Amino acid sequence: MSDKPEKFIDENGLRLDGRQVDEMRPMKMELGVISRADGSCYLEWGKNKVMAAVYGPRELHPRRMQKADSVLIRYRYNMAAFSVEDRIRPGPNRRSIEISKVSREAFEPVVLTHLYPGAVIDVFAEVLQADAGTRTAAINAASMALADAGIPMKGLVAACAVGKVDGQLVLDLNKAEDNFGDADFPMTFTQDGEVSLVQMDGNFTQEEFKQAVEMCKEGCQKILGMQQEALRNKFAGELSTDEVDVELIEEDVVEAESDDVDEGAAEPEEVDEDVEESQDDVEDHSMIKADEPEFEEDEPEDEPESEEDEPEEETA
Amino acid sequence: MSNEVMSALKKDYIYNLILKGERSDGRAFDEFRDIELRTNVIEKAEGSAWLKLGKTEVLVGVKLQVGKPFPDSADQGVIITSLELNPIASPDFEAGPPRENAIEMARVADRGIRESGAIDLTKLCITEGEEVWMVFIDVHVLNNYGNIQDAASLGAIAALMTATIPAEREGKGEDSPLPIRDMPLAVTLVNIGGSMLVDPGLDEEAVCGTRITIVSNQDGSISGMQKSGDGALTEEQLLSAVEMACKKASQIREANLLNI
Amino acid sequence: MECNIVIPGQFLSDDAGKSGHGTYVKDGKVYSLLYGIMNAKNKMSVIPFSSKYIPSRKDFVVGTVINVTPSNWIFDIGSPYDGLLHVSEYPRRVDSDKMSGIMGISDSALLRVKDVSSSMKVELSMRERGLRALKTGRILEVSPAKVPRVIGHGGSMVSMLKKETNCEIFVGQNGRIWIDGTDGNMDRLAEAVEMIMEHSHSSGLTDRVCRFLRNVSDDDSENDENTQKGDFAEDEEDECKVHGDACRTVDALLDAEDE
Repeated sequence: MSDKPEKFIDENGLRLDGRQVDEMRPMKMELGVISRADGSCYLEWGKNKVMAAVYGPRELHPRRMQKADSVLIRYRYNMAAFSVEDRIRPGPNRRSIEISKVSREAFEPVVLTHLYPGAVIDVFAEVLQADAGTRTAAINAASMALADAGIPMKGLVAACAVGKVDGQLVLDLNKAEDNFGDADFPMTFTQDGEVSLVQMDGNFTQEEFKQAVEMCKEGCQKILGMQQEALRNKFAGELSTDEVDVELIEEDVVEAESDDVDEGAAEPEEVDEDVEESQDDVEDHSMIKADEPEFEEDEPEDEPESEEDEPEEETA
Repeated sequence: MSNEVMSALKKDYIYNLILKGERSDGRAFDEFRDIELRTNVIEKAEGSAWLKLGKTEVLVGVKLQVGKPFPDSADQGVIITSLELNPIASPDFEAGPPRENAIEMARVADRGIRESGAIDLTKLCITEGEEVWMVFIDVHVLNNYGNIQDAASLGAIAALMTATIPAEREGKGEDSPLPIRDMPLAVTLVNIGGSMLVDPGLDEEAVCGTRITIVSNQDGSISGMQKSGDGALTEEQLLSAVEMACKKASQIREANLLNI
Repeated sequence: MECNIVIPGQFLSDDAGKSGHGTYVKDGKVYSLLYGIMNAKNKMSVIPFSSKYIPSRKDFVVGTVINVTPSNWIFDIGSPYDGLLHVSEYPRRVDSDKMSGIMGISDSALLRVKDVSSSMKVELSMRERGLRALKTGRILEVSPAKVPRVIGHGGSMVSMLKKETNCEIFVGQNGRIWIDGTDGNMDRLAEAVEMIMEHSHSSGLTDRVCRFLRNVSDDDSENDENTQKGDFAEDEEDECKVHGDACRTVDALLDAEDE
């Protein structure tokens, strides 16, 4: 085990790894890397290497775990035995169970759970190499894996941690800062600025705390930008080779309902009745059940717990 | 539907293809899928290998720790191989402690490495009877597209071949490469409709009744074997499987392991 | 036409009235719920790149039996929700102990969704001409969101596929397509469907796939192809003309709109 460094910040204001106090480690991500999963993302953040995958919505067993009116979200944070310097025994431990719980709770406010009652969305986050900030790295990867899987969400979720060393607040702790610093404060921000995960370990004054929140928020906003870019870039190459006819897609959605879906089998007559169905019903294609409330209604929001004074106009 | 049931129509389709001498992905019966191998991918591990066999993906990490030897082999290091069928890798894998499939695959991989003598365990002795190096081989499955066994075996030996003994970290002298003196490789075949197929894909695993894994070494000798599944093989099938396995292992060795 | 890739939480419009499928409204503004392609034709809606099949009443589906109980067959229909076929929804009277004999675990069938309750209990039916248990053929799997592409405008794509490959085709809304014909023709059809999946965003796809099927046929055996064409010209001319023309007209209209 390494020893505590004498100083964390040098005379030029740079950290041990050369970063500024509000500078994050480099991050890169790749989508769709696990073909068996419905959505997946491989993410590197500094020396952290995490793999996130989403399966779902899918059937949930045993039945007693099913929720009658919403989907169950399960989140499993797991570290590979070889991911850290001192090998860890495979399997869940108290730390990973706690992290799994708060991470799941970070996503619950943004996923539209009422759309898939009785089913489950499984999120798996595997840490392949750890270097401080694995839980936040995992959440950033999981956020993209959920989008990749087509899970309906109000927005993406970004996570980052702030710490304190030599009396100075620092963004995105490295290993030494995490082990020997005076605070570890991870947070997640949703796209509309709400906080869906907060943990703190250490010591802050009230003033430091407010600054830390600001610092973290800025970090999360940058991460959000990177997530969005990665999602956009996944198909950029592919789609540009063919003429993209977006018009055609909606045409097809409309037409399918009014057509004889299977030429060779069913009575054409029976299906023709569907032609009379209203345009609105037809647009509610199989992806979203017709009985479900349309998304037009304002989502009833809980009182936001954000630290900033953001006016939330509730018109419900 | 917690575990996907393969439709009888699909089983028939695969079966009939094989009767015609074809496989659903167009491979020959004795052809392995493409292999992509990268080593030294996890710095924190003493050795590592990221392996893709077709779309099956595994990450193998090698970690070394100082520990106590077993009483009946006081001057020998210890090898411990684990394999987890992680739920991230397939809709059919469940979270929880390893069950019989994962355990079987780990033990087969382990025996293959141990019995081949690829690692000279006496070289891992620090102080006889007190301290030896324990070599942990952990196979982390990332995507299951069939034949995790062979992927795990290839990944393991590649990770071992590029591993370092972390002597400095443990205060036992200078770092040195882990001494590996053979390259045992598992090759798995399945029996479908009387034909033996090498490197079963996901669909083929679901259809087959019998699987046979043979671990062979550089000199063509055999250091491990395991039949699994509820079917049976004829003596002839067994002998030809062994011959095929040695041949394929040597091809894979040449293509992937000689330069790492 | 630029590709409009959108991501969850992305702002789409100031006009709450334009909120369509795959979007939500907050503070009078419309945002995307999904990672996919935005369509701003009438309302703003988003078609996801990846989606699960959620059953709706009247959907046709291809299912596989995963369990048989004394009064129901339980089908996997490629959805988070299994479908139940009650024995009374089978076209003939069946005794409880005979059920497995008719359809056992891993057997597949063509079915229709009779009803979906609010708690997502899915009831299936086979009481319609054309629906039945399957003994031959193959089941192709495609993304449920792209099923309309396989059907095409006025069924144009699926009729063209039938004509060019001489196969029976049943397109399930759940992304499963049952096909039956000679092995060679089923292979060609499977390739054509893959092509549709790959180029699902393109226009003029029906003609493109048609040409592909005819080219492949040419390579194999010209004699067969000519014979086939002759036969079809007589029997199915009317049927194909209606669909073919309709599809070409619609395609042309759409192409014109693009320019």
